[in-house]
Amino acid sequence: MSTVRTVRTGVRGWFVAAGLLLPAVAASQDYPKTPPPPAPLTPAKFPPFYETVLPNGLRLLVVESHKQPIVSLSLNFAAESIKDPAGKDGLAEMVAGLLTKGAGTRSAEQVSEAIESAGGSLTAGAGPDFLSISSTVLTPSLSLAFELIGDAAIRPAFPERELELLRTQTLSALQVSLTQPEVIADRAFRNALYGAHPYARSMTPASVRSLTRADIQAFQRMRLRPSGALLVVAGDVKPVEVRRLALRAFGNWQGVPPASPAAPTSPARTKTELILVHRPGSVQSNILVGNLSFLPTDPRSYAATVTNQVLGGGASSRLFMILREQKSWTYGAYARYARRKGIGYFEASTEVRTEVTDSALKELLHQLERIRSETVDSVELEKAKGSLTGRFPLTIESADQVAGAVANARLYGLAPDYVQTYRVRLGAVTAAQVQATAQATIRPQSAAIVVVGDGAKIYEQIKDVAPITIVDPEGKPLTPLDLSPKVAALELDMSAIVARRDSFAIRLNGAPVGWQRGVVEPTAEGYRYTEDLRLGGFVEQTTVLEFDRTGAMRSVKQTGKQQGQDVSIDVSYAGGRAKGSAKTPDPATGQLKAVTIDTALAPGTLDDNALQALLPALRWRADATWTFNVLSAGQGELKPWTLKVTGTEPVKLGEQSVEAFRAELSGGPAPLVLWVSTGAPHRLLKLSIAGQPVEFVRVP
Amino acid sequence: MPSFRRLSLWLGLALSTGAPERLFAQEPARISFETYSLPNGLTVILAPDRSSQVVAVDVWYHVGSRDEVRGRTGFAHLFEHMMFQGSANVKKAEHFQLVEQAGGASNGSTAEDRTNYFQALPSNRLNLGLWLEADRMRSLAVTDSTFANQREAVKEERRLRVDNQPYAGAIFEGMYALADSASCFPYAHSVIGSMDDLNAAKTGDVKAFFDLYYAPNNATLTVVGDFESAEAKRLIEQYFGSIPRGKEPPPVSCESRFNSGAIRRPWPDPKANLAGVLLAYRVPEYRHADFPVIDLLLTILGQGESSRMNKSVVRDQKLAQFAVVISNPFAPRRGPGVLLAFGITNQGVSPDSLEAGLAREFARVISEGVTEAELNKAKNGYRTQLITQQQQALAKAEALQAAALFLGDPEAVNTNWKRYLAVTVADIKRVATTYFRPENSLVLLITPGGAK
Repeated sequence: MSTVRTVRTGVRGWFVAAGLLLPAVAASQDYPKTPPPPAPLTPAKFPPFYETVLPNGLRLLVVESHKQPIVSLSLNFAAESIKDPAGKDGLAEMVAGLLTKGAGTRSAEQVSEAIESAGGSLTAGAGPDFLSISSTVLTPSLSLAFELIGDAAIRPAFPERELELLRTQTLSALQVSLTQPEVIADRAFRNALYGAHPYARSMTPASVRSLTRADIQAFQRMRLRPSGALLVVAGDVKPVEVRRLALRAFGNWQGVPPASPAAPTSPARTKTELILVHRPGSVQSNILVGNLSFLPTDPRSYAATVTNQVLGGGASSRLFMILREQKSWTYGAYARYARRKGIGYFEASTEVRTEVTDSALKELLHQLERIRSETVDSVELEKAKGSLTGRFPLTIESADQVAGAVANARLYGLAPDYVQTYRVRLGAVTAAQVQATAQATIRPQSAAIVVVGDGAKIYEQIKDVAPITIVDPEGKPLTPLDLSPKVAALELDMSAIVARRDSFAIRLNGAPVGWQRGVVEPTAEGYRYTEDLRLGGFVEQTTVLEFDRTGAMRSVKQTGKQQGQDVSIDVSYAGGRAKGSAKTPDPATGQLKAVTIDTALAPGTLDDNALQALLPALRWRADATWTFNVLSAGQGELKPWTLKVTGTEPVKLGEQSVEAFRAELSGGPAPLVLWVSTGAPHRLLKLSIAGQPVEFVRVP
Repeated sequence: MPSFRRLSLWLGLALSTGAPERLFAQEPARISFETYSLPNGLTVILAPDRSSQVVAVDVWYHVGSRDEVRGRTGFAHLFEHMMFQGSANVKKAEHFQLVEQAGGASNGSTAEDRTNYFQALPSNRLNLGLWLEADRMRSLAVTDSTFANQREAVKEERRLRVDNQPYAGAIFEGMYALADSASCFPYAHSVIGSMDDLNAAKTGDVKAFFDLYYAPNNATLTVVGDFESAEAKRLIEQYFGSIPRGKEPPPVSCESRFNSGAIRRPWPDPKANLAGVLLAYRVPEYRHADFPVIDLLLTILGQGESSRMNKSVVRDQKLAQFAVVISNPFAPRRGPGVLLAFGITNQGVSPDSLEAGLAREFARVISEGVTEAELNKAKNGYRTQLITQQQQALAKAEALQAAALFLGDPEAVNTNWKRYLAVTVADIKRVATTYFRPENSLVLLITPGGAK
């Protein structure tokens, strides 16, 4: 890099090389070996703001800052998603999503065109307590922002087309999020904490599908009313001008939202309950421990903030230091008090390697006990308070941060001087208050514990920590026996195996991409199953399986190409062993991998291509579950697979509708869903990869 | 440009009520700063702004994945982790704790061209931020155990961010596959590096890397916010002045080629549950005169609800759940860059149809250009972005650093917007014709699942 640079600051236009010209200033001072102490800092006053109430009851909050020609606005309603009628969970979020998709005289596209043409943004969102419409614009476009927010709040069009578009997007996003362990954990935890209270609920695919335009219109008419709503404007504005624009945009709008019905009370828990959410294949366990806490206005909230900083607020708090830095069990471990207008909750959380689930959970519980039983020493207390109060300037750096802090205080109904006195009150918290607050608001002896992980590996580890309930990710109850299913040879009715030919079209997103054909024929020793698979230009292969008369494997031979690479499998089964070799692509890298197989097998072990041949020989029932050993020759893996019938439903094949068992197959590389005709001969009608747009559909 | 065309555009503007006008009436507020170098070569940029009690301390080392050699990819990023593992007077992990106890926040990141380390602090802790950066610049602790530990952490990060994430593999491929590995290795491999190279890395390599690239003469220190210049200079001299100058790092060579033939490949992705398409084009380095044109065009095509991709590909044709256009996802580059268009299909749509939909929008710019209204919209969006980033000290520090490294002069932070303002619709059409042609592109057709 260069040495001295030309300096062209606003006022000065001369060369400065201060570092070179003035080295003597500090050369005498040595390099310090310990962190330098804090310099004094004049405590900054909370920046000024302006508040008023318009005649229609709309509250107005303005924070002035003329550093940059930019303004951010938000209009906030106590339009809680918790008031969604039961079964309509997600209503407030859908309303918010649609407010900006067509309003006033503009279509959805005209709204986005108008705001983006001005270089601004317009969004709306809903949480458990509030619904907000927000916009950021450059100062010359301030009146446009008022107009668009006014249209969105008062005159939304809710076009059917936009509702359907948003519904599709929401369902896709939900499908993805319901596979994520942190989402599963949060849903199970809120459900355990809040019971019948609406805070327990979350949107589901069914509730999203049930929402109608009438539901959405009714919510907007009832809940989005000016009285009590809060309009926040921060940035390059004058309060007097904001008031004028607000009166023009919102002055003629009238209405008071109806009082909310009292929410049902949450369970008063007297002892700890552990909910194990079984997520087979998880390599980590997500752990949440907590209990309900207090109202946002509770005077203990200051002490609770300090308590939390000591316990788990950051990277120098106890949970992080112990679970991550000392034990190396996790990437992070934290605690927090979640604020809710109804009643909030305390939560400690971490994600750990499966093997250390019990150790981490016990350590977490121990730390919750410790902060109740031991008084925090003064060094640790001062560090925690120093961190919280030191952070303050960073939280009010820009006008919209200032506005956000005031708005939160107003929306949660906190004391009028909350933002101005916050630091002083935190600074006054004593060790005794921390302990008293911990004892009252952190209750490991009557907590809800949620662990999301592979139950087969962690049930034994954690079952004695507290009375345990096992559920699947959708909340359906399971028993310990469901966690590690009993592996057994399939019981087969070989009279159902007769000469046959099955053909399937393979579709990706409904578009044909290939086909599969399976042919069963009798042989001198038993049966032969020949399967041909063609998938676009990627896969072209033939698999030949030989079975004896009982349905036991005799051999498997596969030849063909996958993505231009020659693949082969050649394995013989005899005397309780499988022997042979395979060369197929590694699913992770796509590179060809050669595997030599020489392994002992349990009786009834099948090749991973064999199930399709034997499906008609299974004893099909609406509640059947089979778990059996499978040798995946290509990967050189021996694993149990489970085929579980989940019910019956009709399947459309061309014009025809055929009643079928729906069965889920797990244990393989991806979960599959199979549909097999309920009537004999039981034939595979359709197969799909769970959560993916790939289907094999029988060609009649 | 023929005048009748200008006239018809003007009429079009006048008739449509939502037509954007130019909002560039006033300039963005200036960032005032001064810059100098210590005798050991450390470049310093100081930008006092007493309007809040926040100070940002931001160090850029001018090293990134572009400096890595064959067999040692992933090294710059692995090194970034090492920088939080302690130094002569700071214990392992203590950096984060000291900053947090002061009420501040800190982190680092690695891109192709630079590695940055930054903290935002209450302004009475400027001394702490400077001291922490100086301590690791003068005395980073590299031991076999911290190195082995961080190598595992980086491998875990690779699994978390790339190997275990749907679509990430395709996006990484798109960021580097257009550079020719033979003539431009620096931009033909990824920042995250290969598992084999990470496994092969030795503690000695780390020490050599530190000596060569983490010397004061290869770094820029930027301080923005609430401080007195004289006091900052005194502390900088005291903490950094005695760190010895290092050797000059070797130059990086890259010969970039454009329009060398279309590449189109299937990309099976076992983590994806819907098909997708990544369409990538080669673009020139950030300081090239065409870059502002490319930047504004990508906004018109693929940023925001009213972008062409969203209106046409997502809403009208319903080919994709979303479709966006971005350039150089990590940071600007001093060498050849990429522009990426990426979309995930709706159920029932083949990747081929989405590919055609995305490519059609680029072709349409070549044949028909864009409107004045669209260009003004993109310029207004750019200006808002510029102004937003100037609201916080740390963002200003990063902007100064970027101007210094990528445009060669921190003063460019105050002038770069003029390059954008000068762009015309004719520029857009010319640039689209130059770069966004099939023979300058890479297409990855992402399909769910590996081949069975």
